[in-house]
Amino acid sequence: MSAPGHAQGNDAEVVLDPLDPRPFIEGKQTDKSLNDSLFRHVWIVPGKGWLALFTVALSMLGLLGLALGYTLYKGIGAWGNNNPVGWAFDIINFVWWIGIGHAGTLISAILLLFQQKWRTSINRFAEAMTLFAVMCALIFPIFHTGRPWFAAYWLMPYPSVQGIWPQFKSPLVWDVFAVSTYFTISLLFWYLGLIPDLAALRDSSTSKAKRTIYGMAAMGWRSSGRHWAEYKWSYLLLAGISTPLVLSVHTIVSFDFATSVLPGWHTTIFPPYFVAGAIFSGFAMVMTWMIPARHFLGLKHVVTMRHLENMCKVMLATGMMVSYGYIMEHFIAWYSGNQYESDMFFKVRWQGPFAPIFWLMVVCNVVTPQFFWFKKLRTSIVFMWFAALAINIGMWCERFNIIVTALHRDFLPASWGNYAPTWVDFCLFTGTIGLFSTLFLLFLKFVPAVAVTEIKELRHDTEHETHAAAAGGIHP
Amino acid sequence: MSADVAFIGRKFVLAEFPSADALLDGTRRMREKGHAKIDTHTPYPIHGLEAALGIKRVMIPTIVLGGAIMGVVSALAMMIYMNVIDFPLNVGNRPALAGPALIPITFELAVLLGGSSAFFGLLIGLLKFPEPYHPLFELEAFRRASIDGFFLSVEVPEAQNAEDVALQARELGANDTHIVVESER
Repeated sequence: MSAPGHAQGNDAEVVLDPLDPRPFIEGKQTDKSLNDSLFRHVWIVPGKGWLALFTVALSMLGLLGLALGYTLYKGIGAWGNNNPVGWAFDIINFVWWIGIGHAGTLISAILLLFQQKWRTSINRFAEAMTLFAVMCALIFPIFHTGRPWFAAYWLMPYPSVQGIWPQFKSPLVWDVFAVSTYFTISLLFWYLGLIPDLAALRDSSTSKAKRTIYGMAAMGWRSSGRHWAEYKWSYLLLAGISTPLVLSVHTIVSFDFATSVLPGWHTTIFPPYFVAGAIFSGFAMVMTWMIPARHFLGLKHVVTMRHLENMCKVMLATGMMVSYGYIMEHFIAWYSGNQYESDMFFKVRWQGPFAPIFWLMVVCNVVTPQFFWFKKLRTSIVFMWFAALAINIGMWCERFNIIVTALHRDFLPASWGNYAPTWVDFCLFTGTIGLFSTLFLLFLKFVPAVAVTEIKELRHDTEHETHAAAAGGIHP
Repeated sequence: MSADVAFIGRKFVLAEFPSADALLDGTRRMREKGHAKIDTHTPYPIHGLEAALGIKRVMIPTIVLGGAIMGVVSALAMMIYMNVIDFPLNVGNRPALAGPALIPITFELAVLLGGSSAFFGLLIGLLKFPEPYHPLFELEAFRRASIDGFFLSVEVPEAQNAEDVALQARELGANDTHIVVESER
């Protein structure tokens, strides 16, 4: 039986998705052509653009070394943290980086479970981002302990001479478990997905050295059907458990704040609002990197305008969830009738010394995504790149607002204070951007930026569906 | 193994098929001919491979479930031993054993051990990786198994003639066949 609009013979264009006929892979492709075009950037000598970016990234990484060295030499006093603002840039940056990582897991795990085929082109990219973002995030709390070489003793449960154990009722201890689990599972998930691609790299390589290196990384993968049968399940199960994991990680990060009694922190909307914000900022970061990368690495046939547009739609949706979070915080502050709560939101945030950061956040996070309602704007590369950048900035401002603004005005006016970051704070922040960029550029050079095996599989499945539809066997 | 025992390498026949469908068909029919140790090699998983190879069940879900249960048990045991039995701390007169506070770490360790067993259980437990040498890697044609080729491999018992198996594969639609014998290392 054939549905109307389909199957007018074998030559007719078959529309699999009646709402959006654009393909996910552009042009006439074969397994071989995809293999060649997607691995091309791994084999060629990096161009001037890559080298220039890498130089900038390395110098920023140097700044990180400098700032960390100075912090170790001077102590935490080198930072702007004070009393009452005991958490500042360190925790802002921690939450910001962890949040950015969340898009990777969302794309790789949640979209896989929902069978969103467009994820295939961007998942490898976003998963790598998760890993590097979590690495950047971990620097801050570890160095905030002051003596990071002792951090493991303080954080991990081990039988110490004092006989004291970690307090498992503390959200900060939950955070240690959540973030370290998140990093480990993201790494395993990323590597598991990478193995067939590493084998393909081994088999496409031209020199013995490359063949040996990629061969060792592929661990002897021989594309065996018996292996695939177990592999598919392993990958699916990892996706299945990563999905609640990603939701739990930012929920637990939000507990660091929400379980306290401080106005501005003590809010039950925090867990979902943190998770939505994390995905929002993560997609913005994927966008910021994907737009130049697809251009310079020649990935436009697999990362199409349709992918970019879908990402804009996700940002619009999560941006509105975040905006709802802001509205709800204010509503509860008013509705609770609590003087401290309403002062924090309507006086301190709106008019206090850090009000410009609050309003910048509103412009970046609430207003900017609204432009994605317009098809013209969400298909404009230039607009979406700047919008993504604005969202990155806005999400950083959000964490500043939550942490510093809430801390500097607590219950007693006598204990109010102010906050100003030092040069070390700025160098640390810039430095982690350098670390992220360095790792990311190395990733783009040595590993295929898209999941080549999955793209080939998508092409194969699409071709089969098209044939089946042309024969009148499938109803989309 | 002592040195005076002669090394006998495993023999493999590698047959290339023109398409995924031809491979599925060829695999099923080779299996029906009684070849026990057969495997396919394709750049990506193909629907119907399990049925063609006669794989009845996969082991990984059981392994992951075991890992996750171990995570739950070890997390609860750790927290209850440390904070309730060995060194209960009275903070604001809250109970030493507070159920809701146990949830996050129990969940995280279930994910950590479940996820790790999905990875290590697969690669080390089931696939016996890392396995840098396999006789099939000696064939230049086998490189295409991860790129764009659809292959069937048959491990031929010592008593059987590899040429006969290769001929059978060609009769079932294989384009090209190769024979490889494991080399002594």
